[in-house]
Amino acid sequence: MEEIVDARGLACPQPVILAKKALEQHTRIVVYVDNAAAMENIRRLGAHLKCAVTIDKKDDGIYHIHLSRGPGDLALPEASDEAFAQETCQSARSGPLVVAIASETMGRGNDELGGILIKAFIHTLLQIDALPERIIFYNTGVKLTAQGSDVLDDLKRLADAGVEILVCGTCVNYFGLSGLIGVGTVSNMFEIAGTMAAAGRLITP
Amino acid sequence: MMDPQTYSIVLFKSLSHALLAEKILKEADIPHKLIPVPRHISADCGVCLRFASDMLDPIEHALMGRVEINRITPL
Repeated sequence: MEEIVDARGLACPQPVILAKKALEQHTRIVVYVDNAAAMENIRRLGAHLKCAVTIDKKDDGIYHIHLSRGPGDLALPEASDEAFAQETCQSARSGPLVVAIASETMGRGNDELGGILIKAFIHTLLQIDALPERIIFYNTGVKLTAQGSDVLDDLKRLADAGVEILVCGTCVNYFGLSGLIGVGTVSNMFEIAGTMAAAGRLITP
Repeated sequence: MMDPQTYSIVLFKSLSHALLAEKILKEADIPHKLIPVPRHISADCGVCLRFASDMLDPIEHALMGRVEINRITPL
């Protein structure tokens, strides 16, 4: 029988601490977590403790992570549970996911194709598991946020879903789009540079 | 924006057909949207035209004979 560790709704390092404690008592456990970051941390814990790890993502978005170890061979680290868990969590990339859209096309080479790709990219962002915390638009990218843009409805949905949309004010001005921006906040380079610097991961499609 | 609207999609043999159809629908002022083909319909990295299902007749009428269609299916 696997020992069940229900770590749904818990923030790091709690799931790691609970999983480690359970592994001290049991050779086989299954940990339930509700986000990808926690899943990664548990996977890392398993690798660190030389456990066999299998991950099963359920339809409801909950990860079931099965960890098993041979009897008696738990490679316990010297550090305290708390310190060990903190270290495991910190080795994950921390900070928010940010998407920076620098152009009204995706990729280089053919602008017609690039225009289709960027629209498809923005539409598909709505369907990925972990929404970005912020999307930044600059250079010709700001045109995507203006009235008449084909992706304005997708961007409004992203905004409704809690994604913060920042639009470069200098760029809006340059293209004569003042007053025509249909979504998000017209922002400045201080905030744009700060957001990029604080990002855990920065995607530039 | 979160309307309970039901949508259908037009699938094409190639991207250039989809682009031609988009151009025709833009000229005819028929609401539509170029979206990636949903994964449950095809694993291809293709695009299709999404439209409100109640616009089926005008869409068919506009595209008929002007661009080759693969199929039309509810989303």
